[in-house]
Amino acid sequence: MYKNFIETSFGTIPYCFRHILLKMKLTALLVVLAMLQVHASSFAQKITLKAKNATLKEIVAKIRQQADYDFLYNNRVAQELQPITVDMRNKDIREVLDACFANQSLDYNIRGKTILLQRKVSVISQQEELLTGIVVDERDKPLAGVTIKNKSSGETITTDDEGHFQCKINLHTGVILIQFLGYESQEINLNGKHTLQVSMKPLINDLNEVVVVGYGTQKKENVIGSVATINASSIENRSTSTLSSSLAGLAAGVNVQASTGKPGADGSNILVRGTGTLNGTSPLVVIDGIVGSMDAVNPNDVEAISVLKDAASAAIYGSLGSNGVILITTKKGTKGKTSVSYTGMTSLLRPNNVPEFVTDYTRHMRLVNEGFMNLGQAAIYTDATIDKWETAAKDPNGLTEHGIPNYVAYPNTNWGKELFGERKLLQNHNLALNGGTENTQYLFSVGYFDNPGTMPLTSADNIRLRVNLQAKVAKFLTVGTQTFGDIQNTSVVDVATAYSYLTQTVPGVYPSYRGVYGFPAAAEESATANNALAFLNSQGGKNQVNRINSTIFAKLDLVKGLTFETKVHYDNSYTENNTHPIPYEKWNFATNQLSTAAQTPAQMTTRYSLYKSYNVIIDNVLRYNNTLGKHDFGAILGYNEQYYNQYNFDAAKLGLIHPDLTTLNSGTTMTGINGDETDYGLRSVFGRLNYAFNQRYLGEVVIRYDGSSRFGAARRWGLFPAFSAGWRISEERFMSSIKSFIDDLRIRASWGRTGNNASGNYDHLPTYGTVPYSFNNQAVRGLAQTKLGNDLLHWETTTTTNLGISGITWKGKLNFEVDFYRGYTDGILFVPNIPATTGTAAAATMNIAEVSKKGVELSLGYQGKANDFQYSISGNFAYNTNRVEKYKGRLQEGFITDAMGNRVYQSNIGQVSNGSNTRILEGHAINEFYLYNIYQGTGDHFLADGSVNINGGPHDGMIRTPEDMEWLKQMVAAGYSFQPADGIDPTKIWYGDLIYADLNGDGIYGNVYDQQFMNKRATPAYNFGLSVNMAYKGFDFSMIWSAATGMSYYWNTIYLNQSIVAQGKSVPLLVADNHYYYNETNPNDPANNIQGHYPRLKGVTDAQNGRTSNFYFYDASFVKLRNLQIGYTIPSNFANRFSISKLRVYLAGENLLTFTKFPGLDPEVGPDSNYPTMRQYSLGINLTF
Amino acid sequence: MKKIFAILMISALCSCKKDLLDTSPYSSVSSTTMWTTDNLTDLGVAGVYNALRLKMGHSGLVSPYELYQMDRFSFTGQGRWDEPLLTGTITAGDPLFLNIWQMMYEGIQRANDGIKNIPQKSPSSTEKKARYIAECKFLRAYFYFRLNQVYKGVPIYLEPFTATEAVKPRNTEEEVWDQVLADLSDCINEPQLPERYATGDGNYGHVTKAAAYALRGKIYLYKTDWALAAADFQKVKDAGHTLFADYKALFKEANEQSSEMIFSIQNRSEFGYGNNFQLFCGWPSAYTRGWNYYMPSPHLVDLYENRDGSKFSWDAVIPGYTKLSVNEREVFFLRDNLTESEKAAAALRGAKMELYLPQGNEERIKAAYDNRDPRLQANIVTPYATFRGAYNFTNVESIQHMRWPFRAQAPIDGDIQSDTQINFFYFYRKFVAEGVTELVDRNFGPIDFPILRYADVLLMWAEALNEQGLLSEAVEKVNEVRARAGVALLNSNTATTVTGQEDLRERIRNERRVEFPNEGINYFDELRWATWKEKVFQVGNGRKQIWGANVSDYSYKGDHLYTWPIPSNEIQMNPNLKQNPGWID
Repeated sequence: MYKNFIETSFGTIPYCFRHILLKMKLTALLVVLAMLQVHASSFAQKITLKAKNATLKEIVAKIRQQADYDFLYNNRVAQELQPITVDMRNKDIREVLDACFANQSLDYNIRGKTILLQRKVSVISQQEELLTGIVVDERDKPLAGVTIKNKSSGETITTDDEGHFQCKINLHTGVILIQFLGYESQEINLNGKHTLQVSMKPLINDLNEVVVVGYGTQKKENVIGSVATINASSIENRSTSTLSSSLAGLAAGVNVQASTGKPGADGSNILVRGTGTLNGTSPLVVIDGIVGSMDAVNPNDVEAISVLKDAASAAIYGSLGSNGVILITTKKGTKGKTSVSYTGMTSLLRPNNVPEFVTDYTRHMRLVNEGFMNLGQAAIYTDATIDKWETAAKDPNGLTEHGIPNYVAYPNTNWGKELFGERKLLQNHNLALNGGTENTQYLFSVGYFDNPGTMPLTSADNIRLRVNLQAKVAKFLTVGTQTFGDIQNTSVVDVATAYSYLTQTVPGVYPSYRGVYGFPAAAEESATANNALAFLNSQGGKNQVNRINSTIFAKLDLVKGLTFETKVHYDNSYTENNTHPIPYEKWNFATNQLSTAAQTPAQMTTRYSLYKSYNVIIDNVLRYNNTLGKHDFGAILGYNEQYYNQYNFDAAKLGLIHPDLTTLNSGTTMTGINGDETDYGLRSVFGRLNYAFNQRYLGEVVIRYDGSSRFGAARRWGLFPAFSAGWRISEERFMSSIKSFIDDLRIRASWGRTGNNASGNYDHLPTYGTVPYSFNNQAVRGLAQTKLGNDLLHWETTTTTNLGISGITWKGKLNFEVDFYRGYTDGILFVPNIPATTGTAAAATMNIAEVSKKGVELSLGYQGKANDFQYSISGNFAYNTNRVEKYKGRLQEGFITDAMGNRVYQSNIGQVSNGSNTRILEGHAINEFYLYNIYQGTGDHFLADGSVNINGGPHDGMIRTPEDMEWLKQMVAAGYSFQPADGIDPTKIWYGDLIYADLNGDGIYGNVYDQQFMNKRATPAYNFGLSVNMAYKGFDFSMIWSAATGMSYYWNTIYLNQSIVAQGKSVPLLVADNHYYYNETNPNDPANNIQGHYPRLKGVTDAQNGRTSNFYFYDASFVKLRNLQIGYTIPSNFANRFSISKLRVYLAGENLLTFTKFPGLDPEVGPDSNYPTMRQYSLGINLTF
Repeated sequence: MKKIFAILMISALCSCKKDLLDTSPYSSVSSTTMWTTDNLTDLGVAGVYNALRLKMGHSGLVSPYELYQMDRFSFTGQGRWDEPLLTGTITAGDPLFLNIWQMMYEGIQRANDGIKNIPQKSPSSTEKKARYIAECKFLRAYFYFRLNQVYKGVPIYLEPFTATEAVKPRNTEEEVWDQVLADLSDCINEPQLPERYATGDGNYGHVTKAAAYALRGKIYLYKTDWALAAADFQKVKDAGHTLFADYKALFKEANEQSSEMIFSIQNRSEFGYGNNFQLFCGWPSAYTRGWNYYMPSPHLVDLYENRDGSKFSWDAVIPGYTKLSVNEREVFFLRDNLTESEKAAAALRGAKMELYLPQGNEERIKAAYDNRDPRLQANIVTPYATFRGAYNFTNVESIQHMRWPFRAQAPIDGDIQSDTQINFFYFYRKFVAEGVTELVDRNFGPIDFPILRYADVLLMWAEALNEQGLLSEAVEKVNEVRARAGVALLNSNTATTVTGQEDLRERIRNERRVEFPNEGINYFDELRWATWKEKVFQVGNGRKQIWGANVSDYSYKGDHLYTWPIPSNEIQMNPNLKQNPGWID
């Protein structure tokens, strides 16, 4: 049977595999159930014990064979014990122990999985006896290095690696003082106890926190670089789909901005300390010591995150650390303790905001007509058509001659509501199993995330698995792995296009009626007005990413203090995509006619593409740490190499044999096969030396030497050194007077260099790419130079100086950290604009620019408690600015006299700067806005003598009144010209049009030399974050706010805020409600609005008002409530009855509030959105067994 | 334990992979190896030809810079959208000027690369290298010609150059012509360059001597060196080029290598290799659906003579036609049996409905398109003519009718559907695929696009002869073209009698206008003849519906429009370039 079964399943592997994937959700559920069972049985475990005259040791051994308990006792106790005789069957542990020690002077005490045995207090002795104990933290994890002080003798000892200690002390009168940095000290009167289990409570201050730094950890007190830490509690229980997006507002100098709300693509951009370069600004992400992608990590697996902000702390990642380094440490297994935890939530999704359009089709048609008539052209929609809609609107449920309701035949569709009106639920489930024995510890986790998105058919789901395992295979050798993977399915729907269809349609298209999609119903309407719903439903296929990341490591303890660690890492990402159309037809419900027939199979194209990338990383590190008296020193020496390779392949065929058969084999005509491959390599050696004297003076030196395949052999290697020093001033004697107030005060300084190789993979080589041509109908791949090379390309280098002060005061209640930094990046790798005269080949990448940045960061935290009420509040602030120090030279502009004696205006802006409406120019911020300015006049129009006043034009640059028009005409008559339309009539400049300022004074208003630098940029200069946490008994409350200011957006998008109307295109409500309109034939027309903000409507194009001017320039500052949680934890005594160690339920909201003056969508995303961000209302549960 | 150590050692050792940092691209060739084999030489030259295809648009990349698309600025064509050049709002920063500049200079860079590196690096045979260098010179000459046609005097670069070297000032128009002539003369003097390739020759599509003569002759027209031009055109004839007998069939794939074609952009049915006529000139009910971006102008239709060579007159067909206002004229174009609401709508638009014939309206207007120069029907879909399209976006072939107003498509006897339903425009038949088999995909049609064809040569030749006063020789050339078209020959009756040089000049120009629609010729002709303002900006002109009503008006910005501006982007990056007069940056 068995054999038979194996054979069968082999025969159907592909089917089985598919089946398994389909059932993944179910499997996750089964795993939960299975674990619950395992767990329940272990608790229900009964003990059978039969012994005659046994020693305690034998009894203990027998119990441990059956149940997983640790015994803790003093050997003397064992010796004093009478032989034990017992016979119990299937009894609870307590009953068994009661029986064993029935007539003995021994007490037992069960704490978790540890059983403490101690002598019954009876005799008072004056002797010193042996005291045995264990010190654990608040999570019952043993604490090593805890100081145990005998109060009477003053002797101190420390706990060992397992948290155990032993000392001789008078057990009856003895008092011990237990101290550990970062924990509340405890004084314990022994009162005759032989054994102790001491639970330490953490001090509210976090000095003891161990901070993960590059290639190691440091105690927070010893950190002298600028390192921001984010702990797991801030990112757990969030419904954000990606780790990156959950970091907003949590750390000073770490700016997190979402770029789209599209499920599966909604990772955020992270900017550490603003922008200091002209190319990529993504920080390096290191997961458990290996370079990786942040959003591959399940947020629930994260133990801690460190952000290395200054060069000194990032220099150990030298070449890649210029934009900061984000170190992610995942949770590891814990000794001696098995726990199963489940967290789950479901959220209701709403789009944060959606663009609004005119939904009343009659109004829409009139507005479009207005736009065309404004240009002297004929109206598009006839009165007859408009009448039809008006009549139908009076009786929406009436039936047409074809028996179709009026509201369908003559629709007024609100496309925003059609696309975003559905309420959908997001789900997030995570299950983790954590445990281990003395030698082996493991963490196993599985997560399932399903985000249906706010737009139909755009969902993404994700299954993530992780195994973290380590085993001590020999006394000197530990091996293990961190392995994680995920499968992510995202919608194949072309979301950007579907979203753009919001503007490329009209209310006169009915979405879908009785399963048939609507077509533009008005005869005059553009046949191409889209039906976004039909589009969304017309795309079939699948899009799946499979990723596996595995690191295998071995740690060797060579001699005391010297360890060698080697890691081999492989990760593989595999994206499969298939797209094919799903045929549909469109129907004109007004005429009851088929308007677009369904595609026939012969017209359908199916496309498959594969995209695979892998990374191989080898990392070897030798570490040495030692303490000699007051000297602490450590050193590491390492070697790292990385090889990355990516290739892709796609093929498409036209003409299917059946609409449902969409493999390539069902296609007939090959229409495209493409594929390419790319790779890079990186090799590095690095070292670090750190030294501390008396925990007071700290110093560190880092050197890294990197070679990158992206540069030519001669220039490929770069050296990145860093130095830092710290002074714990609070430890000095002269501070002792205020020591009671100041717990810790440190001054930190660092200087270092980091690099960046952010050029294309082969940019140092000039290359000829393939281009198509044919001769005599035979295709050939021609070759043409497609990229200009630069064999002098080398590392971009950032030099950063950091000065910081951090402190903890008021017994840990208040902590603060201030950092000042200045970075200077030179040799910036950049592809400058080149003259079009050089052709179409991509310009060479060059080490062309220098940029400085500087900033201040401040974090402040306060925590306190009043009885059962605990609260903490922490805020952060960062200011950052940058300046292009060197690019292609200074801007020179002004009037010159040319050879013919004419006064002409000349500017070298195109030579020395790069860009169009944002530019890179020496002396300015990176990508500072460069815009035309709206003309601003006094409105006086004419001088006293009746001549035209050049400064007397309209206040806000819009020609609104006949006086404005007269002024304009007189100006033109006087020889001034107004660009770009350059003429006064309804097709050029007319009532309701904007004119531009003549900034250079050449008499031409609004030519290219009238653009100016606006002293504004699109990235925030100031970032704020605020977290508030409160807890009262079982209740907890938290919220996270973030804010950004000091940034502006240029937002001028057709059909969203421009005054352009066209057939088949929507009319934005912003403009419809507030644009200039004046009916010259009827001054009393109620529609007249000569104070309208937006320019008059125009059909199809509008050269005059479309200039990139400050009319469309907005302050984009915003304040956001990122997350709000209210939770309740069931009291433990109640929970324990159900074998639950923790149960918390909570309500949460994500992205709940946004305050901004920006009139577009979510200002966090930027001016152009292709998918709104989400707002979520969640209900969740955390459960631990 | 030994095993573990072994693993560690391996891990440490494999880190010493030697070539980790020496990577090179997988799909491109580095400049050091380029041109160094015979094959790379072939591919490099194909790369120069590819420059002819730059900025060829498709449905995901609308790019209105192709040669034939320039017809929207001409007398004979119009576009679907308002064009800043025609509405008087264009500035030197318009992408039109930048893109054409960049495409042409890219071609020059590639040609320069070949001309410089083939002799130095290529191991190909001397004969082949000589031929390739001549081809590159032709292409370089062609790109400079295209630049000089519109910008009139551009910087000359004859070697590959880098961005920092792109600082030359403009050469004069004359200097550029001299350079173009020098390159073409080199081609003509190259013994390895064949006169022409036979149909089906593996090298078909490469430059020939005949092409060089034809282009050089055209340059001489610009320079008004009439005798030199005529001599070169004679050489084209000597090379064996002739007219193809069937004007309409000439623009089908089967005849793309006929002896009339002298030099054409090679197309085939594959993404990246084909033409996009179907997309931009076709319309929704043509196979694979087009967008009718580019359309013939009513002026062109009116210009087609009657078959007997007499001028077409609306009044002759419909007495009193021209006395009506343009809006009133719509009545003649309406379909039979209008519904009451259609009638009311037409009346509202201004059609003079009392002239409507419910049963004979179509018949009456069809007469206007009958008995005309056959090229009218070959090039243009006229009202109540039929077209073999595809039914309702499917691949079911259907005969469709050009009717107004549009009602619906149908498998049989349906209407042609446009993307501009509220207006009634003429459509190009030329280059638009008929039926459902001429094409695989609207983004890559198979038909080669002629840059130089023999009819062009004949009419340029006629022009050169006429300007020299050789009227009868000139008439002979024109008549070759007219004979093939099927319209009465010049001097065959009163209407066609040439009355003098001036008359013949106008007749030749009109012949070019009606022969080459949608081939990217007329706009440049009108510029060369300095007739563009008079023709395109005649009073009341604009984007017109069939009966002459403007959808939007044209507005002439000034005589500076005859010369394109140096793109403002280029002036800003290279201040040595001086702007053409009249243009504001």
